[in-house]
Amino acid sequence: MRVWILRRLLQIVPTVLMITFVVFVMMQSIPGDPVVALLGDAYTEEDAIKIREAYGLDRPVLVQYVIWLGKLVRGDWGASILTGRPVLSDVLVRLPVTLELIVLSMAVALAIAVPASIIGALRQNTWADYTATSMAMIGVSIPEFFIGVLLLLLFSFGLGGLLPSSGWVYLPGTCPTMVCGVSLWGNLQHVLMPALALGVGRAALLTRLLRASMLEVIRTEYVTTARAKGLSERPVVLKHAFKNALIPTVTVMGLQVGFLIGGAIVVETLFAMPGLGTFGIDAIISRDYQQVQGFALITAFAFVVINLLVDLTYTFLDPRIRYA
Amino acid sequence: MATEVELPRVVEVAWPAPAARSETPFAQGVRRLRRSATALLGVAIVALLILVGVFADALAPGSPIASDHAQTFAAPSWAHPLGTDQLGRDMLSRVIHGTRISLLVGVSSVLLALFVGVPLGMIAGYHGGRVDTAVMRAMDLVLAFPIYLLAIILMVMFTPTAGLIGTMKVTGAIAIVRIPIYARLVRGSVLSIKEKEYIEACRALGLRTPWILLRHVLPNCLAPIIVTTTLGIATAIIVEATLSFLGLGTQPPTPSWGWDLKANVAFIQANAWLSLFPGLAIFVTVLGFNLFGDGLRDALDPRLK
Repeated sequence: MRVWILRRLLQIVPTVLMITFVVFVMMQSIPGDPVVALLGDAYTEEDAIKIREAYGLDRPVLVQYVIWLGKLVRGDWGASILTGRPVLSDVLVRLPVTLELIVLSMAVALAIAVPASIIGALRQNTWADYTATSMAMIGVSIPEFFIGVLLLLLFSFGLGGLLPSSGWVYLPGTCPTMVCGVSLWGNLQHVLMPALALGVGRAALLTRLLRASMLEVIRTEYVTTARAKGLSERPVVLKHAFKNALIPTVTVMGLQVGFLIGGAIVVETLFAMPGLGTFGIDAIISRDYQQVQGFALITAFAFVVINLLVDLTYTFLDPRIRYA
Repeated sequence: MATEVELPRVVEVAWPAPAARSETPFAQGVRRLRRSATALLGVAIVALLILVGVFADALAPGSPIASDHAQTFAAPSWAHPLGTDQLGRDMLSRVIHGTRISLLVGVSSVLLALFVGVPLGMIAGYHGGRVDTAVMRAMDLVLAFPIYLLAIILMVMFTPTAGLIGTMKVTGAIAIVRIPIYARLVRGSVLSIKEKEYIEACRALGLRTPWILLRHVLPNCLAPIIVTTTLGIATAIIVEATLSFLGLGTQPPTPSWGWDLKANVAFIQANAWLSLFPGLAIFVTVLGFNLFGDGLRDALDPRLK
């Protein structure tokens, strides 16, 4: 098992390298020049050449990538072309915001989906089941940003500004500068709507998947056996059925990570949150190569690590699955 | 005289009665689809949207791009049933014309992904060996990307524009990120089908590979392809709306639901309808394809349920 984990961890390296390399090449092939944007009206050809030299932008793409990689190995993620700030510190400042959003949205998703799917499967073809499946169908068909807009209309504008429509208040201890709002309650107020917007869609998808696999599992013989030997309904459902129903669900949720990252970008944009999503989209649109590389690196890393965690979850859910 | 052996009846499995034996799998699928009320609702929504998209010019009360500065932020009224936006453009006309863009991008990006992904998957699965490895590694490369990261960078590379060209760029970007899904799906089906005896018989008869793939392999992996395609259109429409929402889809003045929703978010406090209607349009369209796709899955490939 340890060897397997080690091998999988090593496999992360080529995947992340490949993603960052492809992103690097793609970004360089984008028409337009960040130096032009940087210099603005004061643009002169001599200044442009100087800046290109300073940032190594005059070198061939492959050389630039190797230089970036060489710096990365030494812990230097480069500096933004437009702001001059080190990319790593920007990423570290924004990471907690996005992590909080994603963790809370997954918590929302689980809190809705687990009871909804269990009730739906155990009371199949009753009004409770129809309600759960209809709500789930509606949930998978609404894009995150529209849920966000509906929440804004309800909680920010409809109920007399109950929740703030944009901005951010940091959790105590995570404020990156001297001048930012820090409060647990304020943070909760700011993160609630984004987490709901991102979580409801996942909840719907999870409910559909979990209900379908619960329906399959509760008809298996071991569940009948568990009931026949006199176990009460609770352990039968939770220990015998639910745990096994989680296996196919975890696979699909692993595949959903790519969509979750997109969802985070959209939700952060809508609620003007200072997270990695807004950092990434701003960097890509303004062609800030170094920042884009930082964003691609952290996203690719998260993507691969989550997929590894998904594989590891199998061994927990089904001890028969062993990785040699 | 040979008598037919009485086979045991299996509960909930439609055992073909002698008279129904001539029914093709397709006809069986249609029959099952017609029994599902939700699937029919999906079909009705999709059919209605296609009609709206095709006859947008006739149905829309006005031009989706003509602005009227005397009529900005007009509330819903008889003259403008869905109100007007900050440029005084009729929202109903924009929502109706937006149907065209959403359907066009949703359907054509999935078709494009199909036309590239299906042959790649078939060739990889059928030939195996080095061809398989090469094709599937290339597909894994695309799949290794978080879908939105790739779609966003592709759109920045293509430089978003307005009009038909802009729509084609979005279509291309979404198709590229969706190709591996079809290639993997088809390859998986082909791997099992190619071991079947009827394929061996084809080879023994000396049929050429393209013929075997088209006439004998493809029809047998159609069911999952059709189901994934229908549900894929729903996903593609969401991806298009999301790209437009981020300002990377078809550019204005071409009407696009995602863009309209985003552009009007700043004004929703006083004019809630502005973002509500484009959002509802996206929701109804995606719901239609999802209901239709779910129904098709139950009808064509119950194992996938």
